[in-house]
Amino acid sequence: MPDIQNIMDQYHDLPFLIQLAWALSGVLSIAIVLLTIYLKIIRSYLRKKAQHHLAYKNKYEIFLVEYLYSGNDDGSLSDTQQTIIKKLKTSVKNKAKRKVIISILYKLMNEVSGEMSDYIKTLYHETGLINFAIDRLYNKNWYIAAKGIGELTRFNIEDVNEKVSEYALHPRREVRNEAHLYLVNLFRFEGLEFLNNLKTPLSEWAQVQLLETLQKFDDQQICDIKPWLRSSNNSVVLFALKLAKIYNQFEVQDTLMELLNHENKTVRIASIEVLTNLYGLEAKEMLKANFKDLSLEEQISFFEMLEKLVIPSDEPFIEKHLFHKNFEIQLLALKILKSINLDKFMAIDKKSNHKKANPEILKFVKST
Amino acid sequence: MSKKIVLAEDNTTLSLLLKFRLEKEGYELFMAADGKEAIELINTNSPDLILTDIMMPFVSGLEVISHVRIKLDLDIPIIVFSSAGQEEMVLKAFNIGANDFMGKPFSPNELIIRIKRLLI
Amino acid sequence: MDTSTVKIILQILHYLFFAYAFAAITSYIVLSIISGKETIDYLKKNSFVDYKDILSSTMSPSITIIAPAYNESLNIVENVRSLLSNHYVNYNVIIINDGSKDDSLERLIEAYELEKADFIINEKIKTQPLREGVFKSKNPAFEKLMVIDKENGGKADALNMGLNISKSKYVACIDVDCLLLENALQKMIKPFLEVTNAKVIAAGGVIRIANSCTIKGGKLVDVNLPKNLLVQSQILEYLRAFLLGRMAWSRLNGLLVISGAFGILDKETAIAVGGYDTQTVGEDMEIIVRMRRYMEEKKEKYRVSYIPDPLCWTEAPDSYKIFISQRNRWTRGTIETLRKHRKIGFNRNYGSFGLLSYPYWLIFERLAPIIETIGLLYFMILVILREVRWEYALSFLILSYLFSVLFSIVALYSEELTFHEYKKKGTGYKLVLLSALEPFVLHPFILYAAVKGNYDYYFNKKKKWGTMTRKGLATTP
Repeated sequence: MPDIQNIMDQYHDLPFLIQLAWALSGVLSIAIVLLTIYLKIIRSYLRKKAQHHLAYKNKYEIFLVEYLYSGNDDGSLSDTQQTIIKKLKTSVKNKAKRKVIISILYKLMNEVSGEMSDYIKTLYHETGLINFAIDRLYNKNWYIAAKGIGELTRFNIEDVNEKVSEYALHPRREVRNEAHLYLVNLFRFEGLEFLNNLKTPLSEWAQVQLLETLQKFDDQQICDIKPWLRSSNNSVVLFALKLAKIYNQFEVQDTLMELLNHENKTVRIASIEVLTNLYGLEAKEMLKANFKDLSLEEQISFFEMLEKLVIPSDEPFIEKHLFHKNFEIQLLALKILKSINLDKFMAIDKKSNHKKANPEILKFVKST
Repeated sequence: MSKKIVLAEDNTTLSLLLKFRLEKEGYELFMAADGKEAIELINTNSPDLILTDIMMPFVSGLEVISHVRIKLDLDIPIIVFSSAGQEEMVLKAFNIGANDFMGKPFSPNELIIRIKRLLI
Repeated sequence: MDTSTVKIILQILHYLFFAYAFAAITSYIVLSIISGKETIDYLKKNSFVDYKDILSSTMSPSITIIAPAYNESLNIVENVRSLLSNHYVNYNVIIINDGSKDDSLERLIEAYELEKADFIINEKIKTQPLREGVFKSKNPAFEKLMVIDKENGGKADALNMGLNISKSKYVACIDVDCLLLENALQKMIKPFLEVTNAKVIAAGGVIRIANSCTIKGGKLVDVNLPKNLLVQSQILEYLRAFLLGRMAWSRLNGLLVISGAFGILDKETAIAVGGYDTQTVGEDMEIIVRMRRYMEEKKEKYRVSYIPDPLCWTEAPDSYKIFISQRNRWTRGTIETLRKHRKIGFNRNYGSFGLLSYPYWLIFERLAPIIETIGLLYFMILVILREVRWEYALSFLILSYLFSVLFSIVALYSEELTFHEYKKKGTGYKLVLLSALEPFVLHPFILYAAVKGNYDYYFNKKKKWGTMTRKGLATTP
């Protein structure tokens, strides 16, 4: 083949840079061709996977519905149910099928309760799905362990709580979070014990999830939250403040008063808000006395408190701040004055030439 | 003649589950995956009862209720499904005319009881 | 000048171009690797996340969607409906009718049973005044909706009005003509809630192209690859920019821009920096740079996050004319922002923001079209002087072409292994073919638009202001 020989000879005569460019171009071309072929393979694989997923979903959905409706009246498993469990037992060995079955059960656990959810749990045990989740707990990849914990939480599996507790202080936030949810889901307020030892911040995301989990239960008997209000971990304090607000913890008012002097501003502001909800009249007097020393945000929160807890004797204080330089405060002060002393409020007009007065606010409060 | 029920719910497994159960009780079911479909089904089939999830894509359960009560001016019973945390929306639903609500997770048997009570 | 000096100058230019190209290619390779890592991490983290509690909890932070609208009467009713059906409890929607000359307001009043409401605005940021006023619905089903009718002031001004009015902790600034998927808010709010070691000041989303996709009842039903070659090429371009570029910069915490079509800002910080700049055509990039600068100067730890899920879909220009004017505007926006904040560039006080992100944008985004143009002119001079060494020119041209094709294919891989939106049979082949064609059908026009943008910025002041008052709502991706 003289031509190729010829090209090779010419190539060897070229300067180094050009040789390099051509060599790289060759490599890139081959890479492009290979990647294109592989892309085709991946795409058809994904397409097939999606088709299977859909087919499985339709198949198992009907299976499960049948299973759920064929129970005996006394709650024990009927023959039909036994047969379905047997069939599913072989299916769950296949990873793709298992995924589909789990996802259907997962969704249903959120939506149905009573005898149906009991049946689902039985199914979860009997088909051996539970073992796959427990195996995951021991996986060395954190995200697989986290996934396992999540699944065991959803199906209320209690027997693994010791293993899961080990994850409550895991270095990865995501894993910790799943473990915390598991504990609270099973042991409710007692599950919150991990807060005592928590040194890492509890993210807002985790807090919301924990609160939602707690609110799911009918039994709303809350434990003592004082230790958490005094925690050195600010995120734990903020979480405890949310608990105090949701569960109307009148008994912790004194601790909340202490928090008004907390070093963290967010904590101070949250405390004012909670005390507002708890009719903290004592706190109101205290804040009123220290008003000048508060930060602007705290001052605003305080006026929001006043709006709810105002009594006639607050009038001189409000009058003093009628034309506060801050918009929100001025608005709140005028609103409050209107609510406690309409005559005085209507008389403001004449003396509203105060240099910080915002005529728009006055007009607005008058009209509403 | 069997009573007609429109069921608006975007979780397919739950819809399937309820459909089986309700058909066994002798009702005729019309299934909608979102509020828009629900409104179409209500307009064409004049059902005797409506079951609707409160949070649905595009047209919410609230809008379905307000459509039935205000636009169509019908007083057929409406039961809404809600999830935890949607208490506020449930209150709104009652304000615009829902008759009953079921908080998820709920028991389908309980739902049947309530439906029967409303359809007497 | 004797020929030897000319030769030396040519030689130096030669090496400069070569070094620039080499640096650019290296940066692409490095960014691809980083983005690969970040993508894998993201997928791992999100393989078990349950959004259910967050979306339905009243304890989740409040979000206001701010959507400025200007003469959008055709689709506004439908678009607002889709904004109202997001799956999140604690949010509301503010539509800012920015002095529209059409019947947008009337249509909204009619469709959503609006009535005028008493409202007082705390004008923390100065804006154009109200026109008809503030409207709310009589129907409790639309309680989340608020419509503000104001005098025209441009997109930035309208967004500022929204910032003044919103009572939420976070604001989601979006284009009213975008389709937001129903899980958009829950996914986008996640970084704000989960990062505990820094303050998240903004989070940006991905923009996907909705041309030829089937949208039914505010839902994306079917994703198709459009027939139009220009739109196809933009899809590929967006995939590269978002799945490779942004993803990598997000890991480096170096994002300088989040798309104006969909992004969430921390309201307090946005107001503290004075809101959107009404004097630029690139307000979405500018505010992020300013917010970052503010945080750097306050010496507070912060992050600009990025969520790669396809949550926001929008129509891309399908004619070269509109495309060029869009890119022209983006170019001017970039120049304005970088110039306004040039203090940051190469400034050690701004950390990696000043030493990495800013210089990268300046050198590889801002200056790339200029350097490319100079390169082309230089090449033409060589042709005229018969100084071209074709064996070099040809081999390197082919090499760089192959590299750009390969880079696009890597982006395709990233898409297939993550979101796999273009599922239809045969689309994969088309996308690969597109990777080969794109350098010819899209790149020259981008270059032309960028050069024109530069020209308009420096020599055509009238144009600069002209486009601003016309203000289309199209945004940077």
